[in-house]
Amino acid sequence: MYIEKIMKNASCCDLPGSASGCSDREGSLPGRCAALAFPYVPMQNKNPKRYDQRQALQQGTLFPGLDLPFHRELRSRFPAANSALSELMALDFAIKELGLYLDTHANDQEVLELYWSYIRMAKEGREKYEAMYGPLKKTTITEGGYRWLDDPWPWEKGGND
Amino acid sequence: MFVYEKKLQYPVRISTPNPKLAALIISQYGGPDGELGASLRYLSQRYSMPYPELKGLLTDIGVEELGHLEMIGAIVYQLTRNLKEDDIRKAGFDAYFVDHTTGVYPTAASGWPWNAASMAVKGDLIADLTEDLAAEQKARVTYDNILRMSDDPDVNDVIKFLRQREVVHFQRFGEGLQLAKEKMDQKNLYFINPSFDK
Repeated sequence: MYIEKIMKNASCCDLPGSASGCSDREGSLPGRCAALAFPYVPMQNKNPKRYDQRQALQQGTLFPGLDLPFHRELRSRFPAANSALSELMALDFAIKELGLYLDTHANDQEVLELYWSYIRMAKEGREKYEAMYGPLKKTTITEGGYRWLDDPWPWEKGGND
Repeated sequence: MFVYEKKLQYPVRISTPNPKLAALIISQYGGPDGELGASLRYLSQRYSMPYPELKGLLTDIGVEELGHLEMIGAIVYQLTRNLKEDDIRKAGFDAYFVDHTTGVYPTAASGWPWNAASMAVKGDLIADLTEDLAAEQKARVTYDNILRMSDDPDVNDVIKFLRQREVVHFQRFGEGLQLAKEKMDQKNLYFINPSFDK
């Protein structure tokens, strides 16, 4: 059923031979010639479309273009809990995702500015969270004594509320 | 140097224990395409990478995979809370239980303990990054298969997140390979091993 649907949607592509102007050491990729015997993944466009950070965390990617779910996934995703922790997770996730993007798009100035603005926001969010719920890093200075050992730990019940 | 942050990358909140499912999901902890192998693969391959983009990519993705290892550990831990001996027998969790009780141990669902033979470090950037592309696909299929086997919405919510990360990592490794290609011998990409022949 799925395969039929996919076949219907597929548009067949021209595969020009040497008529395409590619040299003998090259083959044709859509729109260009490319060296033979080398795997190709297209570079994502600069400054690609983005979800807001809350939706990004829910989808598992900041980029709609890379959001490619499996057919067995539930249609409705869980609404993200509206907690200080989930907000911080969403910000940190956007930072992580933009950081990976910047590794391969180091010259995208617009995304770099966004990356830094998220980092500034997360710094603030982290301080607020820690003041309310305890340290996220062992080296956070806390009032009222050593709170690093306080339960719950992240894998425990209540550790993600 | 690594600094631990006392939070998960994505929340894990499993309301109903299910040891049978835990015995499957443990494969992404210590199985051949699991998160432990992923993080060790990338964090080990990065040393021989000749270009800064690739050093950065392998470091950043390797670190993220450690966070995913922690999330899988949290799923297994929460799925095996408060078990009675009878639950363990009925659920087919007895083989795991007799070896590890309800501790979280890096093993494949098929029972093989984690093995470095499930990953490679070849010291050649084309070989290593091609392995990484394949590794992301294999992890993605494992998550697909877990989604086929599980109907626990709390678990699937996390598995969907982890699965989507594999797709994004595949894209980034592919881009890393394109960036590296531009710096290599354009007439013959295989003329030297840029990780070794400087």
